Amino acid sequence: MSYLIDEGKNVQHLLMGNEAIVRGALEAGINVAAGYPGTPSSEIIESFSQVAKERNLYVEWSTNEKVAVEVAAAASFAGLRSMCVMKQNGVNVASDFLLHLASSGTRGGMLLVSCDDPGALSSVNEGESRLFAQLLEIPLLEPGDFQEAKDIIKWAYELSEEIRNIVMIRSVTRMSHASGNVTYGPLPSDTAARAKFNYHGPLLDPENGPVISMILAAPELQHGPQQEKMKKAAAIFETCPFNTYTGPEAPELLIITSSACSLYSREAVKILGLGKRVGILKLATTWPLPPVFLKKHLAATERILIVEEVAPTLEDHVKVLAAESVQEIGPKLFYGKKSGHLPSVGELNPDLVLAVLSRLCAVPYEAAAGVFATEAKALMEKLAPPRGMIFCPGCPHRASYWSIHNALQLDGRGGFVCGDIGCYVMGILPAGFSTVKTLHAMGSGSGIASGFGKLRQFGMDQPIVSVCGDSTFFHAAMPALANAIHHRSPFTMVILDNRGTAMTGFQPHPGSPINVLGETVPALDIEKICRAMGAKVEASDPFDLEKTREKLGHLLEYAEGAKVLILKQACALSPEKRGRKKYEVTVDETLCRGEDCGCNRLCTRIFGCPGLAWDGEKKVSHIDDIICAGCGVCVDICPAGAILKKEVA
Amino acid sequence: MTAIPLKKDPYSIIITGVGGQGNVLASRLLGSMLADKGFYVTIGETFGASQRGGSVMSHLRVSKEGVASPQIPRGRADVIVSLEPVEAFRVLATYGNPDAVLLTNTHPIYPVGVIRGELSYPPLDELQDVISRLLPASYFIDATEQALLLGNAILANIVMLGALGRLNIVSFDRENFHAAIGRRVAADKVAVNLQAFDVGYGMVQV
Amino acid sequence: MKQFVPGDLDAAVIQEGLCIGCGACIHLCPYFQSYRGKTARLFPCTLKEGRCFAYCPKVEVDLDGISRFLFGKRYDSAPLGTYRSIHVSRAGEKVKKSSFQAGGTVSALMYFALREKLIRGAILTGRKELLPTPQLVEKPAAVFRHGLSKYTAAPTLAALNEAIEKGCDNLGIVVTPCQATAVAQMRMNPMGNPSFEDPTALVIGLFCTWALDFRRFEAFLAQEVPLKEIVRIDIPPPPASVLEVYLQDEKLVFPLDKIRPLVPDTCGYCPDMTAEFADLSVGVLEGRGDMNTIIIRTERGERIAREAERQGYIILEEMPQENREHLEWAAANKKRRGLLRSREAGKLNGEEGKTYMRLSAEVIDEILINGKEDAPCHT
Ligand SMILES: Cc1cc2nc3c(=O)[nH]c(=O)nc-3n(C[C@H](O)[C@H](O)[C@H](O)COP(=O)(O)OP(=O)(O)OC[C@H]3O[C@@H](n4cnc5c(N)ncnc54)[C@H](O)[C@@H]3O)c2cc1C
Ligand code: SF4
Ligand code: SF4
Ligand code: SF4
Ligand code: SF4
Repeated sequence: MSYLIDEGKNVQHLLMGNEAIVRGALEAGINVAAGYPGTPSSEIIESFSQVAKERNLYVEWSTNEKVAVEVAAAASFAGLRSMCVMKQNGVNVASDFLLHLASSGTRGGMLLVSCDDPGALSSVNEGESRLFAQLLEIPLLEPGDFQEAKDIIKWAYELSEEIRNIVMIRSVTRMSHASGNVTYGPLPSDTAARAKFNYHGPLLDPENGPVISMILAAPELQHGPQQEKMKKAAAIFETCPFNTYTGPEAPELLIITSSACSLYSREAVKILGLGKRVGILKLATTWPLPPVFLKKHLAATERILIVEEVAPTLEDHVKVLAAESVQEIGPKLFYGKKSGHLPSVGELNPDLVLAVLSRLCAVPYEAAAGVFATEAKALMEKLAPPRGMIFCPGCPHRASYWSIHNALQLDGRGGFVCGDIGCYVMGILPAGFSTVKTLHAMGSGSGIASGFGKLRQFGMDQPIVSVCGDSTFFHAAMPALANAIHHRSPFTMVILDNRGTAMTGFQPHPGSPINVLGETVPALDIEKICRAMGAKVEASDPFDLEKTREKLGHLLEYAEGAKVLILKQACALSPEKRGRKKYEVTVDETLCRGEDCGCNRLCTRIFGCPGLAWDGEKKVSHIDDIICAGCGVCVDICPAGAILKKEVA
Repeated sequence: MTAIPLKKDPYSIIITGVGGQGNVLASRLLGSMLADKGFYVTIGETFGASQRGGSVMSHLRVSKEGVASPQIPRGRADVIVSLEPVEAFRVLATYGNPDAVLLTNTHPIYPVGVIRGELSYPPLDELQDVISRLLPASYFIDATEQALLLGNAILANIVMLGALGRLNIVSFDRENFHAAIGRRVAADKVAVNLQAFDVGYGMVQV
Repeated sequence: MKQFVPGDLDAAVIQEGLCIGCGACIHLCPYFQSYRGKTARLFPCTLKEGRCFAYCPKVEVDLDGISRFLFGKRYDSAPLGTYRSIHVSRAGEKVKKSSFQAGGTVSALMYFALREKLIRGAILTGRKELLPTPQLVEKPAAVFRHGLSKYTAAPTLAALNEAIEKGCDNLGIVVTPCQATAVAQMRMNPMGNPSFEDPTALVIGLFCTWALDFRRFEAFLAQEVPLKEIVRIDIPPPPASVLEVYLQDEKLVFPLDKIRPLVPDTCGYCPDMTAEFADLSVGVLEGRGDMNTIIIRTERGERIAREAERQGYIILEEMPQENREHLEWAAANKKRRGLLRSREAGKLNGEEGKTYMRLSAEVIDEILINGKEDAPCHT
């Protein structure tokens, strides 16, 4: 039995923030959870799936985030509690439907969980999702630690049902992927739930009418009530148990903060011994702000420091409130991102807060014994070679990019690749032979490529290739392909089918034969889909370098319309491959040409699989047995036939 | 064993290594052992894209008082456990201080730059020399070699935990480990993990 | 000599648009490859000194150095280069009638050399549709499957490098003048490899005014004819000024003015019409599309040609004075134009590691005076 459904009284477990959210939802009696994988959010849906049977849940990895919200919304419309989960970029995808949903309102409690990634530790950007709460006019909650991440969920469901609208929970990497002790509450004893969608009531009847978002020149009918809901939320937030204050009654500096930043602030205040001078107002309800509660704290101080990630969102809201109530609370001095005291780029940490506090409170602070720090740093720079990002040993993407790169070079017309989101973003780096030249959102590589393809009219004769993973194909690339086929845009879409959503931990997608619940489900065949759509389709095993390059070479020449090359080979970390070597691979040192004219270390200098390393003393390449995954691909790149493989029995 | 009182609160431990070395499991195991002992434990880690061949690091905060920041402030690590020697160095430069204790695996994992022959990897004895000069309390073991003898390089993380147990600076023992590993891995894997723990335990002298 | 001037082939030749796609840099290593008539560099190579650069006939070509190596004498302004004798020729009675471009001298010589085991293999250039496909030919009879001129530049030397890599030696090869230059440079062992042995036993050069860019030519012809059905392409000697494409039972004629835009720029820099660095050079005899001109240049070339004549594989006849003079006039013109063009582009005695050719100022002057535009006699 999973520790997530431990029913012991007041038991404590060390939970990841994401797991705490799951436990909270289970305690709240959730029934439906849907999401699309994305770091740092993926563990939420995965954890739900592990206890789905025991807790009578329906859990799915949806095709994309918008669909996930729609699936969860249906549950809410039918009176169940539901949750949709995604990373910050996913909220962009879902935002179209979300805007409608926020207007139509919900029935059963419904939460949108967005896990942001300040610092873009695992993302292509650190785009901030909190701003959506304002745009969508829905309440936003940000838990400040792990216990709270659990506790706030039940409270949020109650809020959602109270105001009949979706509530947004925002986490960050340092909450979602951090862990801490969480004391459990009781799980509902009865997991039976009955879903029914009532629609017989009059239009706009929030309980029994049809659920629609259609204002038709009468905004007061829906938009008005929606704003009333926000007022109600603000009123409820006045007494939110998760908004806490620690510090003196009249602090000389008030820190207003939320989420992981509250932990950094607490630590900084403690280290500097400022507990008697500085107060910390930790907010869980960051939109809308509870005005009375906030004014009380603002009135008690002159100087306010706002500590948050990434954009100055809370800062703006607090300043507006302070300006509106200046007669009540008097003028204030604000510090934060706008004043330049804290960066509005990248994630924060205790050191950044320490630095600003030390400055504002005139308490000197030095991180580590000076001599030690400078000496250690100097030696590190001298001795520790930096680590660049690379594809795993045995990764099919390395082989795929090798062939794509070579096909484009041989073609010689200056072709390039429009990249997409997945591990294969590394196509912009030497790891992917720097073949990728545009990189944006999920599916946009193919959309951009479709556009480039039509520029022949203006003399652009560069061959256009887009890459797209199997999961990304279903997520957002299909419309782009349809567009290209319909408009005869002669680009080549290379589908890097590694049989799962590999980057985020191998979640299933519509092309997988088994879903997140372990059930056998219809697997959509990408090749058939592309053919049926009308593209010229080829498929190849990317580990067959020569054939792949050849097929791509032919497709590049074909100018009549959209083309698809499907490269099928499972991810090196996939359950079916992990820890299994297909080949025992060795380098025959007597044949290796090393740095000589005739090779110049193609394998280690260019191909760059970490399973191969250069022996600077012997001047030959060799296989690192611990790292080599035994895929055998490097055998086919060696010009000297020096890399040998033997099938593992 | 008698509980070892925290020298500081929060007490800060870093487990570092390279993506794929089992860093996350090691920090979860250590964290749950300490949580079992009644401490508040906060673990901060990053994983995802950044782990592809890159450095990975877990920050463990151990406290009697409450949750701490999931990121350790610079210069404030009390213990550094490293699954890879140059990673030890990297962490030392940012989070180290002269009183820290360092335990590192000596088996190198070469960064791409080194594989490509563009950068050089420092000789181990030089690394060892330099680190010992900076930090008197440093311990070096070839955990990967022992793990391979047990049949899988990935067990190096558990060998390291065993060695950490022997150092007697954090409160946990074999029994705690047994309980913690039992919750994390399949039943048939428990024995080999215990073996790895024991091997590690025997690898350092204090 | 060449080996003292290292450089970056991609930057100096390919990026400059000077590459003819001869194949001299291909099959040496993984970095250069030929694809559909073009040479591509797949990845940058960091070596400062490499065979690719040393062999390439489009960069740092030391004409005098090559001449001294091959003939033991300086490179002078002679329009046809250094030679022993010049003749009219055609295939002899020992050779069955076959598809030859002109007199069949080239095929006959290679056939003979293979039969008599004077060479172990011949590097010849066949075609697949329009794409020239160089090959190592070991069976004498197979020579005839490779007859006929492919008027596009071909990566013939890639097949030579491949054969050498496999350990073949004593090779015969048929090459264009730029390729002949590359082969000469290969034979000079520019890298100073101590175990080096000359892999060639017979180098037959073809006369060449220009070759066509394969991709452009293919795109052009594909609009006009089904490429699969082409059986022969000919450029009959002046004053015809046309390119003829023979199908099974049809002939299409294109004025050369339509074809010239398909010639790569690099041919305009080339000073060599008669493959001056070959053992034997062969062209079409002016006014006689079924006969050849042959220039015997080296001792080993002479030995093979005379023996082939003796055994009836080829027929050698005296070259009429008038034909020789006209050939000299045409060759001198190409030489003059090539040097002028190269000089304009800074590619004659230009920047080290980037220049096309090196030649003493004195010889340059002689050539520029020799190559007068007006014809010596008729045509
Ligand atoms: C691109 C090109 C331009 C030419 N220009 C002229 C010219 O301006 N004036 C002139 O007198 N003659 C020119 N020739 C030579 C002429 O066309 C005949 O090849 C030559 O006269 C030999 O005739 P043959 O009957 O002996 O040839 P064949 O017996 O038919 O043998 C032809 C040989 O040429 C080789 N070959 C064919 N195409 C190529 C190629 N692209 N590259 C390298 N080798 C090849 C084949 O391997 C074959 O062995 C040119 C040839 C080529 C390939
Ligand atoms: S590619 Fe082959 S010859 Fe070249 S360094 Fe690697 S093993 Fe040696
Ligand atoms: S076989 Fe070669 S390419 Fe494959 S994992 Fe091993 S070293 Fe890397
Ligand atoms: S220097 Fe040698 S190895 Fe490098 S590209 Fe040239 S031929 Fe290849
Ligand atoms: S050797 Fe030939 S193919 Fe290579 S760059 Fe020079 S001209 Fe081009």
